Parts: sequence; structure tokens; C-alpha cells
Amino acid sequence: MFKRLAFLMCLLLALAWSSQALAASKLVVAVDSPPRTLNPHGSDADSNLSFMANFFDGLLQRVGDQGALKPALAVKFEHPDLKTWKFYLREGVTFHNGNPFTAEDVKFTFERLSDPQVSEFINTGQSIESIEIIDDYTVVIRTKKPIPWFANNMHQIFIMDKESTEAREPGEVGLKPIGTGAYKLEEWVKGSYVRLQANKDYWEGAPDLENIEVRPIKEPSTRFAALVSGQTDIVSGVPVELYSKIVDNPKLSIISRPARRSVFLALGNNPGSPVSDIRVRKAMYMAINEGEIIEKIMRGHAAPAAQIPDPPTIGYNPDIQRLDYDPDQARELLAEAGYADGFEITLTGPNDRYVQDEKIAEAVAKYLAKVGIDVKLDVKPKSIFFPEVFDGSLDFYLIGWFDGTFDMGRTYFKLIHSRDKEGGFGSLNGANFSDPTIDILLEATADIVDRDVRKQVLQDVNKIAMTDKIAVIPLHYQEDLYAVQKGKNIDFTPRPDRWMVYKEISR
Amino acid sequence: MASYIIRRILQGIIVLLAVSMICFIIFRYMGDPVLTLAGKYATFEQIQEVRESFGLDKPMLEQYLRFVWNALHGNFGVSYVSRVPALDLILERLPATVELATTAIGIAFILGTFLGVIVSLKPFAIRNKVIMAGSLGGISMPTFLTGILLIMIFGVYLGVLPPYGRGETVQVGFWRTGLLTLDGIRHIILPALTLAGFQLAVILRLTRAGMREVLTQEYIKTAWAKGLPPKKVIFKHALRNVLIPVITITGLQFGELIAFSIVTETIFQWPGMGNLLLTSMFESDQPVIVTYIMLAALVIISINILVDIIYAFLNPKIRYD
Repeated sequence: MFKRLAFLMCLLLALAWSSQALAASKLVVAVDSPPRTLNPHGSDADSNLSFMANFFDGLLQRVGDQGALKPALAVKFEHPDLKTWKFYLREGVTFHNGNPFTAEDVKFTFERLSDPQVSEFINTGQSIESIEIIDDYTVVIRTKKPIPWFANNMHQIFIMDKESTEAREPGEVGLKPIGTGAYKLEEWVKGSYVRLQANKDYWEGAPDLENIEVRPIKEPSTRFAALVSGQTDIVSGVPVELYSKIVDNPKLSIISRPARRSVFLALGNNPGSPVSDIRVRKAMYMAINEGEIIEKIMRGHAAPAAQIPDPPTIGYNPDIQRLDYDPDQARELLAEAGYADGFEITLTGPNDRYVQDEKIAEAVAKYLAKVGIDVKLDVKPKSIFFPEVFDGSLDFYLIGWFDGTFDMGRTYFKLIHSRDKEGGFGSLNGANFSDPTIDILLEATADIVDRDVRKQVLQDVNKIAMTDKIAVIPLHYQEDLYAVQKGKNIDFTPRPDRWMVYKEISR
Repeated sequence: MASYIIRRILQGIIVLLAVSMICFIIFRYMGDPVLTLAGKYATFEQIQEVRESFGLDKPMLEQYLRFVWNALHGNFGVSYVSRVPALDLILERLPATVELATTAIGIAFILGTFLGVIVSLKPFAIRNKVIMAGSLGGISMPTFLTGILLIMIFGVYLGVLPPYGRGETVQVGFWRTGLLTLDGIRHIILPALTLAGFQLAVILRLTRAGMREVLTQEYIKTAWAKGLPPKKVIFKHALRNVLIPVITITGLQFGELIAFSIVTETIFQWPGMGNLLLTSMFESDQPVIVTYIMLAALVIISINILVDIIYAFLNPKIRYD
């Protein structure tokens, strides 16, 4: 018996010993979702762009924890009139295959955006009227309509090599990226890892870390186990339930930063329905105890929101205040509006999209029940929920949003402008909220480009929408949580967009 | 005989068609892939354009017939997400799943029969009662719980085994194997044990029941009386006869493990087909989902037809003629 036990111990020790420590120049990162494709235009999800930002560069890039817009493949740009954008390109940059980067590649890239077979950026692609090559390093892009936020988006349109992209099958292009980025693809084993290798000839200088291994681990508890067992150096997407466990672990440190995404409740206002009465909207707002949601459901990892955009976004208005939690006044307002006995409404929401989304929806239903509103909960997977939002068939739903362009205009056109198929507005206004004042004001902002004027006007529109009309009921901004192994000297500052850009990490 | 085989194959084709139709229709209602494909900021018009570009605006029947026609030519369509042929995506994940399922069924079979024999010899010994109780646990404990417990114990607290992934792999021809490296073997232990748990309990109980029955028979008594060594009586005379149904069950379970080890693969981030299926469902990647289910159905139906044909050979009464 003892012999057998001793043998077992030896076996366990042997297994433990063979788990060697990770090599020094290598960084292993666990993220929550795998890349869908390595075609830089094949997905506009941030989880995918996060991979792309390492293989490719945009004309511009976002740097630092406030997401400042800085030059990348373009050294500067001009905006001579409302519809014209002139980019001066960086000279001497080469793609991973050795091809030089020129204006031809830029033209090719922007034309490719309009092809639905390979691009999810057709909205950007089709907004372009023409692309003119002045010389090898100067490009002029003309848009069909004035788009004030056009340049703000240039950090996520990644420039591809014309020659190698045209020569290869689309499937192959999505497997083997050829960009100008700080890292080259070494190997991608689907479901296991993506290995990146430093690009020694990078135009900003070779990145600090030579080898990166990114492991997508979807299951949160497994991601946690990978971190605690020392298998990974950085984990992004730490679930709030596990926060205290990581804080208690002496080998790990946790980094949190306010996320850009706000979570809110969209509410329709179909004429004749109870929610078309502003008093009812106010009452619903006041009935929800957001403080308790943050404390109990988000475990403190969220900040109360009074509007949809976050502070760095143009249009964020610091003067907008949340309505205080006050169930008594909410009941009075309901009585005043003639709904003392409440009414019935369906609250829809996803259960696999935002942090604790389903639990938040449940809590909201309970708070509203306390003031007499009978809420039917209808929570479902995002793949079923979002089509319903596009259909505009909902009354009241939970959704989250942040805008990569840092401009509120584009967001509000999507979310609270009346649904308008002709104009292409309101496609994510799933509860048919409609207010002519907001529509007119929003449309008037479309050709304001001057940053200061734009900021002022958008702030005013924002205030009207949030305070006077209660277009939506804002809840909170999420918080992004990362965990890092201590004692490995990893210098890592999270970005506002949650992208993992490895040239910014050093050790 | 020939007409029997043809009939069984025709029945199989009808079942396959029914399966393809059902999953084609179901997954049409499980989310609209066009919304993702068009991007967050697409207008109504652009969404319509994308729908037309992928042929998703056509009537359902037309889409279905086109799918069947293409499938007959070995073309199961291109994944909406990665724009690579769906069949290639699935076959790329096949080795990981097959290796996991084979290891799991191997563990379950060897341990299951061995423990089954031991338990059957002295059914009332305390140790054997514990084993039987444990096997009840194996049957009733859900895989995700077993998996997480194993990860917590061996991966986190003891830190002796890696909690996830497949480890170092080697490419041998088209097959990417993890069984040839020490790292790969360390990685397969926990998921294989998790997957083996249920099967092990079933095999153990089956072996035990069979052994209990066989051990009381006359020819075993004769063997004992002849003074044969216990090893020979138990393993050669008794166990061999018990193994026939056990192997049949193991074979059937194996097909299921390959097709549906989704939960285990997700918990351990095992890069197999189940993992791919789940990801594809979240992304409404219909070509991949439908191809996967068609393949699974094809495998299971073929196994069944083969078994039926073999039975018909062995037992002429079953044949239709």
C-alpha cells in the first residue's frame, strides 16, 4: 500500500516538475473571446479588433488611457472642407512580406470596405464618394455626406497590402494576416492560441516583448484557474464574482478601470401607451435603485451613469444629473398620470452580453413592481435579442453601448433618432422612441465639424434627450477588470477600448 | 439480403434529409447572421444588401434546396464568420476531439472492467461498497461540476496539472496530435477523466452485473473444481463472456463522446469540435452548425446501419425477405 502511495506521489511530483516556468521574453495572455477571423475588416467587434491592432496599423491610432488620437500610417491629415479628408502618409513603412506601404494600399483598403463578403465596415465603405491618389504618399478621401467623426474612426480601419490581398483567396487572407503592425503572426491554432512574434522592422521601433501567446478561454472559472495556477501572465475580462478571490491572492494584482460602455434601459413612447407620458418615464427612472444594483449585483464594479456617452466622448455633458432614487415620489407621479394601479410592460434583454445583464434586468423588474408596474421579464441570448432590436418590435429593453469614434453624434443617430429607413437612422432604436425635437436637433449637428462648436451643440442635445425627454433610463458604466501576475515586472495600462495592444506592454 | 441493405440505406438517407431540414429550419430562427455581418453601424439599406449578397433573402425552400444540392457535391458552404469552408473548420478540430474521446473511453473501459471484476468477486466487502457508491456519483454528477472540481483540486490547489488547453502539439501529416509530447499528455488527463467519469460508472456496473451472473454458472464451478489458478478462471473463463455486451455499449458511447463532448471541451477550453459548435451557435454561424449536425447524424446513422447489417448477417430472421 505504501509502495503504491509513494509511486503516486512520485508521479505527481514528476508531473509538477515538468510544468516549467514561462520563458522570460514571452508573455502569455488569456482573453475571453477567440478571434473570429484575422481578416482585419471581417469583424467590427472590439474583441476581434483587439487582435487586429497588433498585426495592422490604421491611418491613425489611439494611444494612452484616454484614447488620444495620434498619427500612425498617416503622419498628419487635413480637413479642407466638410466632405474632404486629406491624409499625408508615412514613408518607408513596409508590410510583413516586404512590400512597401503606399497610397495604392490605402485606396485598395477603403474600397474593400464596401464588399459585404469580406467586410463588416460597409457603412464606412459606402459613406465614401471617391478616393484620389495625389502621389505615392498623399490621399484625398471625399465622403458622400459630411461625416464629422470620419477621422475619429481611422484607428479601426486597418490598412492591408493590396498585392498580397488580391492574390490570395478571402479565406486565406483571414488566416494569415499581412500588415504593417508591431507583431507578425507566428501561428494560430484555432481554439488554442494565437502566437505573435515581434516585427523587428516596425516603424515605431521593435516592440519590447518578443513573443506573445494569446489564449482565448471562454469559461470564466477556467480563465481564473489558468491565472491562479500561473499559466498566464495577464487575464482580461475578470468576472466580478471572482474579484475578491484575486485581491486575496498575494501572487496576483488586479487592475480596474472605468469601461467606456454604459448600460441603460431603452424605453419606447408609442402614442397612447403609458410610457408616452413623461411623468411615467420619470417615475420609472426614480423607482430603480441604481445604488443597490451597483453594490449588490455589480459588487461595486460600476459607476452610476446619467447619460449614454462616457466622459471622453464629445457630447458628454457633466451637468446632467441622475434623478434620485425615490419610490414614494415615483408612486405619486404614477398616480398623477392616472396609473395609480400601475400597468403592464415587457422588459427584454440579453443574458450573455453585458456584465450581469440578466440579474440587472431581474432587479429592475422587482424595483418597478414595488411602485405597482407589472414587468414581464423576457431575457434571451444576444443572437435572438439583437435581431428584435433591429426589428423595432420591443417596448422596453436593457442594452449597453459605447462608440469607438468618441463622438456622441453617431451613437444618438442609431439609438434615439426616430426609425427612418430612407435616411438610415434609428436602426438600433428597438422600442420606436420618437421625438421630433431631438430628430431635428440631431440632423442639424450632422455637418458641424468644428470641435468646440460640436461639443457644445451635442452637449445641449444630450441634455434635452436625457433630462427633458428621458429618452432612455441610464443605469451605469461598467468597469473593466484585469488581473496580472505580480513579481514579473509587467508594465501594463489598460486601454479605454479594452483592446490588448502588446507594443504598449513591457516588462 | 441485398434488398435489406438497400432498404436500410434508403431509410438512412431519409433520416439524414429530415435531420438536415429540421436543423436548417431551427437555426434560421436562432438569430439573424446578417445583423452581425453588416456591422454595428449599417443602415437598413445596407443590411438588405448584405442579406442579398449572402443569398439569405431567397425563400426558405430555395435556400434549403440549394444547400442540399451543394452538400451532395461535398460543399457545405462557407462559414459566415471566418469565410472559410465550414467542413474544413470542423475537420481541423476533429483530431483534438477524437484524441480526447479515445483517451476517455480507454480510461473508462480499462478502469471500469477492472473495478467491475474486483467488485463482483466480493460484493459485500466495505471497499467494494465504496466503489459502488462512487460509481453512483459518477453517473449522477454533471460533467461541468466534475470538471470544475478537478480543475480546482489538481490545477489550482495542488498545481500539478494544467487546468485548460491542449498543451504542446505536433503535426503528423494532417493530424495535429497532443499525445506525443509530455506536455500534451499532462493536458489531456483532467478533461479525459472528466469525460470518462460517467462512462466508467456505466461500464463498471455492466461488468459487475455480468460477472455476478457468469460466476454462478456450472462451467465456472467446473473450472474452480479443476483447480485452475484464479486469474485464469476470472479473466479468461468468466470475463471474456461478460465483455461482449460491455464492448457493444462502449462502442455506442464512443460515437456519442465524439459528437457531443461540448460541455467538457468548453470547461477545459479543449480546442475540439464541441468547442467550435458552441462558439458557432453564439455567433449564429449557420453553415458551421448545420454541417456539424449533419456530420454527427451521418456518423451515427452509418454506425447504426452497419450494426443492423451485421446483425442481419448473423441472424437471418431479421432480414425482410
